[in-house]
Amino acid sequence: MALKIIESCVNCFACEPVCPSQAIFAAEPHFLIDPKKCTECEGAHAVPQCASICPIEGALLDSLGEAINPPGSLTGIPPEKMAQAMAELRSH
Amino acid sequence: MDLPVLNIPETAKEGGCSASSCGSSDSQVNHLPDHIREKVQNHPCYSEDAHHYFARMHVAVAPACNIQCHYCNRKYDCANESRPGVVSELLTPEQAVKKTMAVAAKIPQMTVLGIAGPGDPLANPERTFETFRMLTRDAPDIKLCVSTNGLQLPESVDELAKANIDHVTITINTIDAEIGAKIYPWIFWKNRRIKGRKGAQILIDQQQKGLEMLVQRGILVKVNSVMIPGINDEHLAEVSRTVKSKGAFLHNVMPLIAEAEHGTFYGVMGQRGPTPDELMDLQERCSGDMNMMRHCRQCRADAVGLLGEDRGAEFTLDKIDAMEIDYASAMEMRRQVQEGIMADMESKRSTQQKKAKPAVPDGARPVLMAVATSGQGIINQHFGHAKEFQIYQASPEGVRFMSHRKTEQYCSGDSTCGDAESALAITVRSLAGCEAVLCSKIGYEPWEMLEEAGIVPNGEHAMESIEEAVMAVYREMLENGKVDETPAARRANAEM
Ligand code: SF4
Ligand code: SF4
Repeated sequence: MALKIIESCVNCFACEPVCPSQAIFAAEPHFLIDPKKCTECEGAHAVPQCASICPIEGALLDSLGEAINPPGSLTGIPPEKMAQAMAELRSH
Repeated sequence: MDLPVLNIPETAKEGGCSASSCGSSDSQVNHLPDHIREKVQNHPCYSEDAHHYFARMHVAVAPACNIQCHYCNRKYDCANESRPGVVSELLTPEQAVKKTMAVAAKIPQMTVLGIAGPGDPLANPERTFETFRMLTRDAPDIKLCVSTNGLQLPESVDELAKANIDHVTITINTIDAEIGAKIYPWIFWKNRRIKGRKGAQILIDQQQKGLEMLVQRGILVKVNSVMIPGINDEHLAEVSRTVKSKGAFLHNVMPLIAEAEHGTFYGVMGQRGPTPDELMDLQERCSGDMNMMRHCRQCRADAVGLLGEDRGAEFTLDKIDAMEIDYASAMEMRRQVQEGIMADMESKRSTQQKKAKPAVPDGARPVLMAVATSGQGIINQHFGHAKEFQIYQASPEGVRFMSHRKTEQYCSGDSTCGDAESALAITVRSLAGCEAVLCSKIGYEPWEMLEEAGIVPNGEHAMESIEEAVMAVYREMLENGKVDETPAARRANAEM
């Protein structure tokens, strides 16, 4: 069982030092989790540390492949509002 | 170890400085106690005067953050962006030191290195303090400063003191958790993400505690606040009073910058920033209680050079690698150049002081004027070339620097100015509240538009000292009865 970092990661370094299992490492094009080392923070913390500090919605997936921080959950921007704003910008 | 301090000549304590652009006798820096003023008067970010002469740089070594602010988007990272906090090149501590040494060798006016982001320097303690340690060893003449959201501040005070940091900037947008919840959606604290009011309360407590601890250690603390209309604008005067009572030496209120394309919460949700008038009003309200900083340019987190300029592109890593630098002689060069500048500033200051205070009847209404200048305290810029205007207030007490306002540059010097007209209109609008504009030259079209807006264009004081020219224009207005007239009345007269 392990978490996974996907391409929306912005390489902000925040997760790397908070991992109790030293499972996270800098890589190209983005940070990665070594699935053999990741313990999902079991036994060390009540919640996965990487997913608790990561500022990017959707960058971390749980072992089922689902976003731990879905759109809107961290920024507070309703997803439809974001989509609307981006569509408006593109039409300019 | 103590940082060698440049030999700073004693300046007069009161009645004094009407030195241009330092903001006159009422200025932030001259009101400070001597020991603080001596520390900051060659710091370009703290003194309107010093920023024309001394350079600073920021290095981006601290990418991680431990809170989220509604005016920040961690995804945005573009070279054309010039908002605060934005960077294009993340550096390791070794690279940062190399870059700092290279810049300090090529720009001998450099006095200050700051670490401000793109994340929070204290959420990246190893990277931040490693950089400071190496610099204290290799370039002990350079002052070090750090800018933080404050969450990890109390835990970092010992390290900061050890690293010889003499200035810390804390961004404090509120001291009320209710308001905080509208600015900070979450913080990372004790192994959890904490949202809403609870998170905001922890952040506020940490900031205030950190502020007190720093002051106790004798480390200078400046407070930055972002003015967010409808959220904390009414509340910031109280913030100002509180941080002052705890010993912060300077308060810098900055306008919110929010555009949908930045992808920030405020940008996408349509939260507006303050108008220049609103910002200046608030700064005025706070200034009764506090030394206000009025010339902050809100630079990028990796800006290099004099305030308002960014020479970062000259110092990319590959360009630095190609440079050959003799560090020892570079440090000696800095010492000489900076001593020269200090002497120069001092002599300007004392000639200004010798001039008698202008005779203006007490009780005359204060007047705002905009000035186009490219620095050195003189009126030396064409109206159409000004990227920003400096706003001065003339009153019977004298002339003081109030703020600066950015413009759309409508004249780019060629004949293909597409949107010339609308940009000009925007510039004129940005000068709302001013009654005169002093510049070296001005074209016919802007002249007309200014007059229509009730602002008197004035090109008669080219190459003169700003303070003297502003006072001369003020006296002229008094003599002609223009000060009794309200700006609205003048506008009506102009239309007739
Ligand atoms: S879930 Fe825990 S152990 Fe796994 S990578 Fe994240 S922080 Fe490390
Ligand atoms: S905290 Fe998130 S965005 Fe930052 S490096 Fe880790 S996964 Fe990437």
